[in-house]
Amino acid sequence: MSLDSSRYADLFRTESREQLSAINRALLLLEGGGDQTEPVGVVFRAVHTIKGMSATMGYYAVAEFSHQLESVLDRVRRGDQLLVPEVMDALFASADALETAIDNASDQAAQSPAMLTALQRLRDVAGGVATSEFPVQMAAEGAAAVVEVAKANPLDGPGVIVRVKQRADAVLPGVRAFMAVQRLRDLGAVAGVQPSADALQAATEPMSFGVRIMTNASADEIEAAVRSAGEVDSVEVDVSGRMRRESRSAIEVIAEGEVPTTPSARPTRHVRIDLARLDTLMNLIGELVITRGRLLQLTASNPDPAVDESMQQAARLISDLQSEIMTSRMVPVWQVFDRFPRLVRDAARQLNKDVNFVVEGKEIELDRSLLDEIGEPIVHLLRNAIGHGIESPKERLAAGKPRSGRLVLSAARDRAAVLIRVSDDGRGINRERVLQRARASGLIDENVREVDDAGLFRLIAQPGFSTDEEVSDLSGRGVGIDAVQIKARALGGSVELKTVAGEGTTITVRLPVTLAIVRALLARSGSERYALPLTHVRETLEYDLSAVQRVKGKAVLVLRDEVLPLLDLRDVVQQGGTGGTHREIVVIERGERRSGLVVDELIGQQDIVVKQFDAARDALPLFSGATILADGAPALIMDVGSLFEGS
Amino acid sequence: MPTVLICDDAIFMRTMVSDILQQAGFEVVGEAETGAQAVERYKQLRPDLVTMDIVMPDMGGIDAVREITKFDPDAKVLMCSAMGQQALVVEAIQAGAKDFVVKPFQPSRVLEAVQRVLG
Repeated sequence: MSLDSSRYADLFRTESREQLSAINRALLLLEGGGDQTEPVGVVFRAVHTIKGMSATMGYYAVAEFSHQLESVLDRVRRGDQLLVPEVMDALFASADALETAIDNASDQAAQSPAMLTALQRLRDVAGGVATSEFPVQMAAEGAAAVVEVAKANPLDGPGVIVRVKQRADAVLPGVRAFMAVQRLRDLGAVAGVQPSADALQAATEPMSFGVRIMTNASADEIEAAVRSAGEVDSVEVDVSGRMRRESRSAIEVIAEGEVPTTPSARPTRHVRIDLARLDTLMNLIGELVITRGRLLQLTASNPDPAVDESMQQAARLISDLQSEIMTSRMVPVWQVFDRFPRLVRDAARQLNKDVNFVVEGKEIELDRSLLDEIGEPIVHLLRNAIGHGIESPKERLAAGKPRSGRLVLSAARDRAAVLIRVSDDGRGINRERVLQRARASGLIDENVREVDDAGLFRLIAQPGFSTDEEVSDLSGRGVGIDAVQIKARALGGSVELKTVAGEGTTITVRLPVTLAIVRALLARSGSERYALPLTHVRETLEYDLSAVQRVKGKAVLVLRDEVLPLLDLRDVVQQGGTGGTHREIVVIERGERRSGLVVDELIGQQDIVVKQFDAARDALPLFSGATILADGAPALIMDVGSLFEGS
Repeated sequence: MPTVLICDDAIFMRTMVSDILQQAGFEVVGEAETGAQAVERYKQLRPDLVTMDIVMPDMGGIDAVREITKFDPDAKVLMCSAMGQQALVVEAIQAGAKDFVVKPFQPSRVLEAVQRVLG
């Protein structure tokens, strides 16, 4: 199997099992009498789903069997096949056979004859009813085709053919042959054995046998595997059938007639957990992390080697537990992104735009609760891009651009953050119009004639700001950007804008990977401690007077030939006073912008548990939440992104 | 020098296997008469190779293989079978044995199998 599909194997197994449960429940309902329409539909759809999934996984035998079942069920659904008890029994048997087949397929084990037996049985009973009915014969034909294939040579079909001749003096040749087949199974799914595996194993004389195997292993590897089973005279490997894959021949894997291994312990690798339960776990681990911090402080002030050792171990275990719980909450962004292509298509159509929509970084993972929160803002951004950014085809052609606008939604990891970006190649934001509007509503001074991207963003992110005179239903009434901004901040993230007239607009939402526990740098300013999430921290350095200069009366930091604006945390939090002589600088960043933040002291990095809070009205919009530190004292979490807005 | 643990309830068979392997340069680090002993010694000695009789008192050879491979999935166990134990040999292989030899032993066959196992 290719690497790619192995990622989905567990999912396939879990989901198939759910479908099988649905089938069994519905069959029981059917047997109980009453209205048949609903349960028949359930069985039909479940079988159909399994067919699609198994074909995708390359489990063609399961797919073919489901297909055969489906056609019988279709007749039942249309009322052309009566559900007499014999048919019910055959359907139950088929459901069991399907389950076995799914298990075998996901275990990469050879298929058993169970599917054939079940189809034969279905054909027999359906055939009994069919003497007077036309459609059932069709079903019977379908089954017959399968049975016919069963009689064919198990070596005919796709895959690599391995022919083995045993040494004339081989002892217990049956066991050697069994071992050879087993070693081959390590290389890929064995699709056929001739003579049958049973006959092979029972052999008492040295013999020649053939194996058909689905593998990407080289001929040499295959030969080595066979020879490692011992007492082999010669091996021939024919790889010419490797690429051949025919859907009809897929069912042949069930023709082998090998006894299936007993599925004594069927592994279920996925369970579904109520999200509320995960949240509870997250809260508990959050409290535990705080308690750990307190304990570590206590043990540090009262050293005792024995207690220390246990404490260290407990601390490690808590960290492991925390990371496991966080991991279990992570889901790939496609779970939300996958609904956007349809949305973009509909929106583009409604607005007569031609949009080529591309999604990138689907596999990037985010905390489940974040992902749920971010769906709406992305919708806003996409609609804005289609509504305001991308021009009509006519306008684009006139501007010398391709007829179709390009709209890209991407997710990417950037250290402790995830960047979600919506980018279009449309007309860009009209700065002049934004400024006009801002001047008109008194947001900026009459004389302001220029604005950079960050300033522009601050303006359009004002609640209720819109430049579009004719507001469309789609992109709303200017509530887009400010809603996105508010949401991103609430989640401990930030938003940046980049726009070039005539070339397009890119909006990037920067989010922490997880919501509840973030890694933060603790900094002291006066007697207060503040947490700076690492999402926005680039580096830290000693405050060194020689690196600090004044440009136009403002302090700047010269760092590797780069000039960064310098802020003092004491000023930011309006604390006043001056820090000591040994102060430190945290280089914070948002997008491509960086600043130095001078603090009195850096206390260290720590996992902090974010408690959302509602800031008092008119409070400084500087904090995204609060946390409880190891010593039990509260600390505010800085919204680092907001520090760039005053500068 | 590779080490080997020899498990068989008959002294005669242990001596024979021991001779064959010593001549081939193995160091016999231990012997066991029962399956339970075999498992216990394996855990103590961690030999490079184990030869295992199928039928032994107090936990047979197959169960012993199962226990040993549970403890050490890379354990190299060579089954020693009598004629007519075809089904048991298959079971032993499924339990994790890497190869087998059939009594009466021919030294060349034993060494061939050993080479495959240690290969």
